[in-house]
Amino acid sequence: MSQNKPTIDFGFAEVPLEEKVKKVKGVFDSVSSNYDIMNDVMSMGVHRLWKRHTIELSGIRPGNVVLDLAGGTGDLTKEFAKRVGKTGRVVLADINESMVRVGRDRLINAGIAGNVEYTITNAEALAFPDNTFDVCTIAFGLRNVTNKDKALEELYRVLKPGGQLMILEFSKVTQPLLAKFYDFYSFNILPKMGKLIANDEDSYQYLAESIRMHPDQETLKQMMLDAGFDKVEYLNMSEGIVALHRGWKY
Amino acid sequence: MSKQPGLVNISLSKTIESVLNTAIRLDEEQGQAFKGLEDKVIKVTLTPVTSPVYFLFTSYMVSVQNQLTGEPDAALECTLFDFMSLPLNRTLPTSLMEGDTDLAMQFIDGLCGLDIDWEEHLSHYTGDLVAFKIGHGIRSFFEQKQTTKNNLGETVKEYLQFEINALPTQSQVKRFVQQVQQTQDEIDQLALRIEALLTKT
Ligand SMILES: C[S@@+](CC[C@H](N)C(=O)[O-])C[C@H]1O[C@@H](n2cnc3c(N)ncnc32)[C@H](O)[C@@H]1O
Repeated sequence: MSQNKPTIDFGFAEVPLEEKVKKVKGVFDSVSSNYDIMNDVMSMGVHRLWKRHTIELSGIRPGNVVLDLAGGTGDLTKEFAKRVGKTGRVVLADINESMVRVGRDRLINAGIAGNVEYTITNAEALAFPDNTFDVCTIAFGLRNVTNKDKALEELYRVLKPGGQLMILEFSKVTQPLLAKFYDFYSFNILPKMGKLIANDEDSYQYLAESIRMHPDQETLKQMMLDAGFDKVEYLNMSEGIVALHRGWKY
Repeated sequence: MSKQPGLVNISLSKTIESVLNTAIRLDEEQGQAFKGLEDKVIKVTLTPVTSPVYFLFTSYMVSVQNQLTGEPDAALECTLFDFMSLPLNRTLPTSLMEGDTDLAMQFIDGLCGLDIDWEEHLSHYTGDLVAFKIGHGIRSFFEQKQTTKNNLGETVKEYLQFEINALPTQSQVKRFVQQVQQTQDEIDQLALRIEALLTKT
């Protein structure tokens, strides 16, 4: 690795900072068409429950304006759009064009149209005015963002006072036995399934590694407080395989 | 505000949501009766379940959830039993009504006009047996005209427990983890032996 260029983790490998964005994009380019199937297989279907839990806790209501950052193929956007109705608005923002395209087609096929906007955006530089959104979500996206502190500051900025940020992300497993199994699963089984289903072992190897490099529950909580959030709490789901962090701006 | 809905409450809201949307889809009027409720929120407390459910009406039909930021447009309270018996009773006795009562009445009238089939829907989730039991619970209540209110409460409880039981138990997970660990150990040993063989040659 070059001596003077700043580097950052890409899974377990260290890469120059600017390369990470390109590499992450590559990963999602190659998984986009099989992403939804893979999601089901990876989490054994439980990701639906984690997402449903997130929707429930958002306290969303008709008329709300929502940002689904790193929204990918639009699972959360779809549910939010149904709930905010025609008087509300959901913005699906993602850095990757092919994920957004798959998401848009999928939502239109499901009859969701008129109150959803699609935009290609980097989480570190959000092109929205201050105090725009009632709810912001970033589900399984923050671990891919290079400068997480910047992204959190941006999310705080675009939230309305009283608004809530929800971060759904793989986290640190709290149960030792399960932690062992989970390690085995994500480093041995998961990439093999990635190969079988998506013919792409490397991308899923990256996903497994990036999960391990992501800050644990308490670290992320502190990062959110440092970014300006006035109140932060988190909730472990499935023994901490996934954690939902919620931050409020007052 | 920060009260967490548990698995049971989520199953409840999700089940109610699917059942209602199916009924609206099959309805000749396509849920026209709910038109006046668009972009409104009705809070319903289904006793004895302690946390309320919120019905959100939009042009995409109805969503049901456990939490709401801000106040609902109307609130009502009834028993879970009466709520589930609505398809047979065609009326919903309430013990409390607050906020915009016109909206609350529209909500009840809309529900009463629907052909809600709990039995058919629950069978997708739980297999026919439990759905039949619930349906049977409702039917036998009306047939015998007995005050077996607890009966349905019990079957609902059973259904929810059944759903939770469908998840693996702790000991099942433990056994599975042990098996995985064993396989891992065997692979490690095999790898060591191969390595040893290779270095010998
Ligand atoms: C694992 S997917 C999650 C998609 C969706 N939120 C879900 O839960 O199904 C991660 C998404 O994050 C996006 N992403 C990665 N880095 C990003 C960044 N810096 N800004 C915005 N989106 C990013 C990827 O393109 C990908 O669509």
